[in-house]
Amino acid sequence: MAKEPAMKLIDLKKDIGKKQIIKGLTFEINPGEVFGFLGPNGAGKTTTIRMMVGLMKISEGDVLIKGSSIKSDYKNAIQHVGAIVENPEMYPFMSGWKNLLHYARMMPGITEERIKEVVSLVGLEKAIHEKAGRYSLGMRQRLGIAQALLHRPSVLILDEPTNGLDPHGIREIRQYIRTLAEKENVAVIVSSHLLSEIEMMCDRIGIIKNGELVAIETVKALTKTEEDRIHIEAVPLDRANELLRQTLQLEPTMEGENIKLTAKREEIPSIVKCLVEGQVDVFGVQVQRSTLEDKFLDVIGENAIE
Amino acid sequence: MSNFFRLVFNEQVKLYARKSTWIMFGILAAIILGVAIFGKTVGNFDEDQYGDDWRQQLEQENAEIAEGSSEEEVANHWGIEENNYYLDNDIKPLEYDAWQFVVDNAMLSSLLSLFTIIVAAGIIAHEFRWGTVKLLLIRPVARTKILFAKYTSVLLFALTSLVFLLVFSWITGAIFFGINGANPLLVIQSQNDYTQIAAWAEMGRSYGLRLVNLVMMATFAFMISSIFRNSGLAIGFAIFLMMAGNSIIGFFMEYDWAKYILFANTNLEQYYRGTPLIEGMSLSFSIGVLIVYYIIFMVLSWLFFTKRDVAGH
Repeated sequence: MAKEPAMKLIDLKKDIGKKQIIKGLTFEINPGEVFGFLGPNGAGKTTTIRMMVGLMKISEGDVLIKGSSIKSDYKNAIQHVGAIVENPEMYPFMSGWKNLLHYARMMPGITEERIKEVVSLVGLEKAIHEKAGRYSLGMRQRLGIAQALLHRPSVLILDEPTNGLDPHGIREIRQYIRTLAEKENVAVIVSSHLLSEIEMMCDRIGIIKNGELVAIETVKALTKTEEDRIHIEAVPLDRANELLRQTLQLEPTMEGENIKLTAKREEIPSIVKCLVEGQVDVFGVQVQRSTLEDKFLDVIGENAIE
Repeated sequence: MSNFFRLVFNEQVKLYARKSTWIMFGILAAIILGVAIFGKTVGNFDEDQYGDDWRQQLEQENAEIAEGSSEEEVANHWGIEENNYYLDNDIKPLEYDAWQFVVDNAMLSSLLSLFTIIVAAGIIAHEFRWGTVKLLLIRPVARTKILFAKYTSVLLFALTSLVFLLVFSWITGAIFFGINGANPLLVIQSQNDYTQIAAWAEMGRSYGLRLVNLVMMATFAFMISSIFRNSGLAIGFAIFLMMAGNSIIGFFMEYDWAKYILFANTNLEQYYRGTPLIEGMSLSFSIGVLIVYYIIFMVLSWLFFTKRDVAGH
């Protein structure tokens, strides 16, 4: 039997009034995968997430969670999902523990042991009996993740999960998300508007812009060993070309005032050194961005909300 | 069913975890105590002490009232009518006691209406204001079930506060004024006459009838809360209508359809004491109108809660 995707979006659309704000999203997320949902603010990330969990009606298309449609088989679909939508808002007048108990009562078969387990997983043991209203944003984020994990979901949806966390907290969450995906085979969907953040924890990234998916890329393809395209402005060009070919066995091409070549990032200092020692004047070195970053910055660049 | 019970339990936990709920009970207790202290000291609730010569005392009272009043006034004076009822039926007036105090405190049920409106208005709107609605609605529970758990919780609050009002009034009344037996016969005004009724029956009747108004206004506030997701609006609207209800009827009195206005029908007391507000109205007519309004309120609450998107702020 082929591996069933944990979540499947089929030509998902959302109209609000006459305007279509989500214009047909189709992609799958597999068990054990961390999927980054990336896009500028206003691109439709949260709207898509709201449709995934049934908070908003789907205008067209469908979302299947472990094969069950969120539209027609809501209960079966949603029971596999744990989520934070936007900010992790809790009842401020109740303790973290009582907040968790409240959600535990809404789902079958959650024991007190499980709640304790989840609390220690997110590292909230010390503050769990304090009122949630006194929590910092980082603590609320942890409590939010705790409530999403109570029922051991197969799909975990986290909307901007590192929002408000300090660098230490961000690293913890990141490691924790990786562990969940790798050890418990959970499919994790993480939304963010920051590429740098998502690059570090995701296996695949989908970029959304104005309600459309503009790219889906595997993160492994852009690890740091990948070669960058480098432009060097140097005088005299011929000599630079010769030096690079002979000393460093590179294959540069000449283009106007520039030399173009591909090399690993860590080779750049030795290239510059070689040129300088060979009496070539270097006026500039430019490293071109990787393809995903290109795409993402194109999207971010024209951050116009339609 | 146990599932539904747990949802109602959740709502009750959230309700009583908030200070404002306890403040409401505190206010209620303070007012009951205040009324009792006022009655004992300034108000002279228990000034009439009737001995074996109670017939003479009543005659005396009537004479005192008659003095300085015109004949017409005397004929319609409630005090004289009441005293005459005692004399005609040979009933010795009872001293003011806990039972009488409880019956008199039925007027405080309008305060209960106010509190229940506040609770009903907040129970949906607050979830939206706090943002917790998003976490509440992504559980394997149908929205309809959550809505009815919330509504049940409102009714449970109304019932709890009513029981609190009754019990606290009785205890306070017992301490301040004493008790005349387990179920004494009270004399009350009914239609244009007086009648004798058992304390339990009178309590059940007057509180029960006021409960109708309370439930209708709470359901109305619940509906506004569901439609606009704003507790301030729901509280304001419901209280305004509760206060302005009589003026609204007065304003439209001359029209035929005035009797279909909700507020013309919420006070079922009108069929027991005095005459109906508008001619042609009867108890069964009012009950019919109330049921229609109730269904409309519930259906609108349900439609807006279950069918509408939970969008951003």
